Amino acid sequence: MRNLFAFFKRFRVFLFFAFLQIIALTIYVRYLSFPKSQYLTTASSVTAKVLETQNDFIKHFNLSKNNLALQKENIRLRKNLPQSLYRIDRNVLKINDTTFKQQYAYIPATVIHSTVTRLNNYFTLDVGWKQGIKRDMGVFSDKGGVGIVHNTREPYCVVKSVLTKDINIDVMIEPIGLFGLLKWDGKNARRGSITGISNDLRIKKWSKVVTRGGSGIFPRGLSVGRVESIKGIEGEPLWDVVVKFSENFRTLQRVYIVKNLMIEEQKELEAQIPPDEEDK
Amino acid sequence: MTDLTKNILRFILFAFAQALIFNNLEIGFGIHLMVHPLFVMLLPFEIGVFSLMSLAFVMGAIIDVFSNTYGLYASSLLMMAFFRPIIFKFYGPREGYDPIKEPSIVDMGGRWFFFVFGYLLLIHHFWFFLIEIFRIDQFFFILQKTVLSLVFSYLLSILLQTFFMKKSKAK
Repeated sequence: MRNLFAFFKRFRVFLFFAFLQIIALTIYVRYLSFPKSQYLTTASSVTAKVLETQNDFIKHFNLSKNNLALQKENIRLRKNLPQSLYRIDRNVLKINDTTFKQQYAYIPATVIHSTVTRLNNYFTLDVGWKQGIKRDMGVFSDKGGVGIVHNTREPYCVVKSVLTKDINIDVMIEPIGLFGLLKWDGKNARRGSITGISNDLRIKKWSKVVTRGGSGIFPRGLSVGRVESIKGIEGEPLWDVVVKFSENFRTLQRVYIVKNLMIEEQKELEAQIPPDEEDK
Repeated sequence: MTDLTKNILRFILFAFAQALIFNNLEIGFGIHLMVHPLFVMLLPFEIGVFSLMSLAFVMGAIIDVFSNTYGLYASSLLMMAFFRPIIFKFYGPREGYDPIKEPSIVDMGGRWFFFVFGYLLLIHHFWFFLIEIFRIDQFFFILQKTVLSLVFSYLLSILLQTFFMKKSKAK
């Protein structure tokens, strides 16, 4: 027993260091995989308040550019309004909403804090579970998909952006319809890559990359970027496809959150798929 | 101003400067400016090793909370605090440090500061990027980020000290 006390006394500095270091590293490793158990994030209200004040100062830097982008989107949407369309069919056919059921609802939000230089980049939005935001909802801007909700609190939420190591959004290349997973290598904030594209089909440069909508996070056909270059991977029948993102994450300010109203049905159905033999 | 109020003020200033300003500067080439290690460096010579490590940990955790990094800053700053007494002892004068002086470039001179702060910042930056990237095949990327960020953070730390600090006088 005396030896034990002597040991603790001798190495107390190192033990204290190791203790704190283990706490820090545990939080770091755990957060990357289990976000629900953590409280110390920018989604908690005190830190988010400070960041909101900070955003009040810096939001003006990109304001005119963002306004232009929003105006363009407005013009595009206004074109589809009934008042700007000429009605060909007059009272012959009435469309009652049994043919179209609303599947996606959108919630507007403002980015109050974001990073682009890290290996895993997140941003904080000014909406939370008060507005019905839940984990794994998609987030997109006027130019295309930007991330997936990672963690929510009452007034704020943290979004895992496309610039994250394990984002894995399922995308497809138009018009041929090949699909794969979108990845990011942690270096360039303007470019990512798609994995799982087999090299038996030819892909045109600058063809559009859109979301596939398979997991119910994003609606189908939301733009993500364009194919910038295609290279063969040595020893594998796959293409290495480099995508140039359509959104510039450095100036991201206004986003929309996708609320899939039929996600429960999809999940319920997919849970009925019998597991593979090897998994048993 | 007493030492205590001075250090409390510095704690707040450094934590917020790092969390709200320097973490948002994007220079490119993997350069990440960090000024908060300077706070740990400038704590008084006679501070106990436990309070030194606790302060470093708390400061790192505060910056973590503001930048969604969850323990990354805390871990690397703690690493630096652990090595600070060891390197101070190694470079210390034979009769021990003068307690009225501060471990800054204006008090201790360029040569002493160059080596001590250089080693501490190297440990801090290397650990930070090693944990952030944590992949062996990206080793050269870790080195590139470490070396470039080290040079720029170092120059920034020296600039801050020469602008804002005076030589300590005998009480």
